[in-house]
Amino acid sequence: MNPRVILVTGANGGIGQAIARSFLQESPENQIWLGIHARLDQAEKLAGESPDRCRTIALDVTRPDSWKAAVAEILARHQRLDVLVNNAGDHQDALLATMSLDSWQKILALNLEGVFHGCQAVLPTMIGQRHGRIINIASLSALLAPAGQANYAAAKAGVLALTRSLAKEVARIGITVNAVCPGYVDTATLAMDEMERKRAIERIPMRRFGQPGEVAAAVRFLACGEAGYITGSTLKIDGGIF
Amino acid sequence: MNNPELKLHIKRLLVENLMLQTTAEEIADDISMFGPGGLGLDSVDALQLVVALDKNYGLKISDAEAAKVILRNVNTIAAAIEQKTQAAG
Repeated sequence: MNPRVILVTGANGGIGQAIARSFLQESPENQIWLGIHARLDQAEKLAGESPDRCRTIALDVTRPDSWKAAVAEILARHQRLDVLVNNAGDHQDALLATMSLDSWQKILALNLEGVFHGCQAVLPTMIGQRHGRIINIASLSALLAPAGQANYAAAKAGVLALTRSLAKEVARIGITVNAVCPGYVDTATLAMDEMERKRAIERIPMRRFGQPGEVAAAVRFLACGEAGYITGSTLKIDGGIF
Repeated sequence: MNNPELKLHIKRLLVENLMLQTTAEEIADDISMFGPGGLGLDSVDALQLVVALDKNYGLKISDAEAAKVILRNVNTIAAAIEQKTQAAG
């Protein structure tokens, strides 16, 4: 496995942390950059464990100038960028009838436009390399469109469409673009009381929540050399829902 | 402007980066990059070419209008590179 330079956004959360750890374990020579913005304690802790090959970098995914600065810093150190994992995201659930325009716009900016900006920021480098892997973390909500998640589901469904469209554009240049759709994953952001957890688990054929490491394993596979013929794909990681 | 060495370098860059099924020597200086009767490049090729020209010559093509003018043929690309070099000098 050749050492690679990897940028993971939203690296403070449970899935982002697991993805970064997975790449750290993949090769002792991999260089991991943890994009962080609002929260940073977990990412800084992880970077502190492997300071020679895991670093945090300030990145507001909604701002093109922030992307430009982050990518420039990575290229200044490594002169290449092999993998981008667009993982940053959040949700603000509400019924559409009462959803504020601000909530709609904020969730689309973070979950969908953030992916757009990220892809634009890394593409010149990946095109120049004639190699690259982009993995977008979407959500099962993109496919199920649950009530109360019109903003989040629309944004994540947009990510799936963006993934397929971009995959076609850059396929011949050696760049693959794929998406994963995690279902219920046991992280701190999955804020549920006991009753909600019980009801959710009843809906999952495997009768358990997924672990962040199980999402990370899929991401690591899509980023590896052996996955070179997979592009424009959406991989569900949901314990068999629907 | 007439710089055969630069033009040959551009042609090699085209063949290598766009994996053209031709040789650099077979590409005429004034053959169209796009459309029938030309090299038949498409928008994805154009994207790669823009990146390659920036990487190899520092030539930045920032908008679609400029791209239409500069990426017409090898002559126009060479002219844009020479213009940029002279401006820098």
